[in-house]
Amino acid sequence: MSASDFLILNHVSKVYRRNQSLLERLKKNETGGTKAVSDVSLTVHHGETMGLVGESGCGKSTLARLVSGLMAPTSGEISFPPNAFGNKPRLQMIFQDPYSSLNGRWTIEDIIAEPIRVHKLRNGRTAVRARVDELLVQVGLSAADAEKYPQEFSGGQRQRICIARALAGEPEFLILDEPTSALDVSVQAQILNLLRDLQKNLHLTSLFITHNLSVVRIMADRIGVMYLGELVEEATSEELFHKPRHPYTRLLIDAAPDMDTSDRSLHPIAGELPNPAFPPSGCRFHTRCPFAQDICRNTVPPQKATETGGMFRCHFDLDLSNASIFPPAAKVKTA
Amino acid sequence: MINAPAPLLDVRDLTVTINRDGKLVTALDKVSFFVNPGEVLGIVGESGAGKSITGAAIIDLLVPPLKRTGGTITLAGTRLDQLSPKAMRSVRGGRIGFVFQDPMTSLNPVITIGQQLCDTIQAHLKLGGNQTKKRALDWLDRVGLPNPDVQFKRYPHQLSGGMRQRVVIALALCADPALVIADEPTTALDVSVQAHILELLRDLHRESNVSMMLITHDLGVIAKMADRVAVLYAGRVAEISPVGELFNAPKHPYTRGLIRATPMPSATGEMRLDQIPGAMPGLGAVPPGCAFNPRCFRAEGDCRATIPPLYHEESSAFSCFHPLERVTA
Repeated sequence: MSASDFLILNHVSKVYRRNQSLLERLKKNETGGTKAVSDVSLTVHHGETMGLVGESGCGKSTLARLVSGLMAPTSGEISFPPNAFGNKPRLQMIFQDPYSSLNGRWTIEDIIAEPIRVHKLRNGRTAVRARVDELLVQVGLSAADAEKYPQEFSGGQRQRICIARALAGEPEFLILDEPTSALDVSVQAQILNLLRDLQKNLHLTSLFITHNLSVVRIMADRIGVMYLGELVEEATSEELFHKPRHPYTRLLIDAAPDMDTSDRSLHPIAGELPNPAFPPSGCRFHTRCPFAQDICRNTVPPQKATETGGMFRCHFDLDLSNASIFPPAAKVKTA
Repeated sequence: MINAPAPLLDVRDLTVTINRDGKLVTALDKVSFFVNPGEVLGIVGESGAGKSITGAAIIDLLVPPLKRTGGTITLAGTRLDQLSPKAMRSVRGGRIGFVFQDPMTSLNPVITIGQQLCDTIQAHLKLGGNQTKKRALDWLDRVGLPNPDVQFKRYPHQLSGGMRQRVVIALALCADPALVIADEPTTALDVSVQAHILELLRDLHRESNVSMMLITHDLGVIAKMADRVAVLYAGRVAEISPVGELFNAPKHPYTRGLIRATPMPSATGEMRLDQIPGAMPGLGAVPPGCAFNPRCFRAEGDCRATIPPLYHEESSAFSCFHPLERVTA
């Protein structure tokens, strides 16, 4: 553990269980349930933005809830090492849907002032109001907007209000769960630029969760790739895109269509996402991996560290830097 | 346009209004475009631009208070806008197939997918029972469902999202339509599944040479799939260009803004992200003149006063008084 460590996840797992009958509970039946997050170890350093990407059902939102303390992990440990701010850093979240995450009966002033009042960051009405105005200007709205209600704003403006509310708590740590997925392209660019400026100016440490690889590449210093509850690869942004180590990372990068009209080839990943409740044996990606061999089907791959401080879970040391060349197996449809 | 083939679908001045407590609000304002036989026309725009309304207006599936109030829609010589509701029913699913965004809500949950396919085939093709079933099984196989015999008897909830969208595509194509309208066919799907569905649509398009209208907000999908692209903004056509021209030399400032606002790595691997200020005007709040003028860096007096007409130039058309010069580099 180094002094720059801000957040440490140590073999964190979360199992969602169905409601058990009294008998089952008395028997302390530990079987069953969906392992949404499985044995994830991760360190976020001071002042950096950690990105998490993956498809639906990979456990990225569950991990966000675990880190925020909204849920307790089934096993493993989440800790914020003591630092200059004291034991527990202030933490705020920004959610995906700016329509359902603002109370329509509250004015913008009430919404943004709530964290200030709860944490007693300003004293007196005028001081609180002055802080609200300052925050509104900071996120690109005007002080006059404080009197309005959320319904009077567009999706992009609402997301700005959500950001102002999160900043009102003067957080040291920000969790962003798909903050731009509900927004249109031109508005998404505005919000991403705003978030990038704020991160730079306020020296925030943050966890940025998204399914969009291009977005995470712009926003994050380091990126973790999740598949069916497992962290399969973790590296700095540039390294992950230039020299991915895990086949899934490579395939995910290629699968998203880019805007190059001269090369119109598509690169689907073979097969379908397995049911996260019944993950495949061995390496969880073996059912779709073009490099899969017998060892992948039977043995869970070890976590390997890279020389640049990254991590990947694969039996092989594959060179995947020059992509898009795959064995013909990639074309085979699996049932 | 000399010697050009007659377009399969010709939409002229399509206008759709919303009756909001007696006040008429324009949702689509004189939208004109055409689709050639065997062509994929991409329709792109942000939410509220009128993409889906365009698709629904063509097959007369507008839900009140939306109402088509003007314009002509011609499919291979037939004026669709003058057809009786009954005649229109046989066009839907027959001449024109439709793929909706959400594969869960576009299938009937209490009927097996095989039966849904058979019903559609029988309604449009007048085949016997055995032939119908054979054709349905054949289509399940063509859209890539493993074990068609087993899948035939399954219900939509027993399939994954990607498989369901394959069934929806089979439903849209099983009656040999001349045109398929695909409205955000992959938006509800994950990246890895999206590429499968796009590949399937492309293969089927090549095999059957059906024309396609691909409605999406995703420029990446457009770049890979479309032959020509229509960009919609606030219910009006901003630009229609061949796909290569649109991405490499856009004429309308909005088109370029949209491309530059999409986070994508450039050729050098560097990430850039240019935002367009402001947001698209809502329904009924469209400014006078060009709808894009408050957000446009090239806007001048005439843009604020007059709505620019659609200028035609070689293979493309754009509605802008001050179009971007074609960069030759």
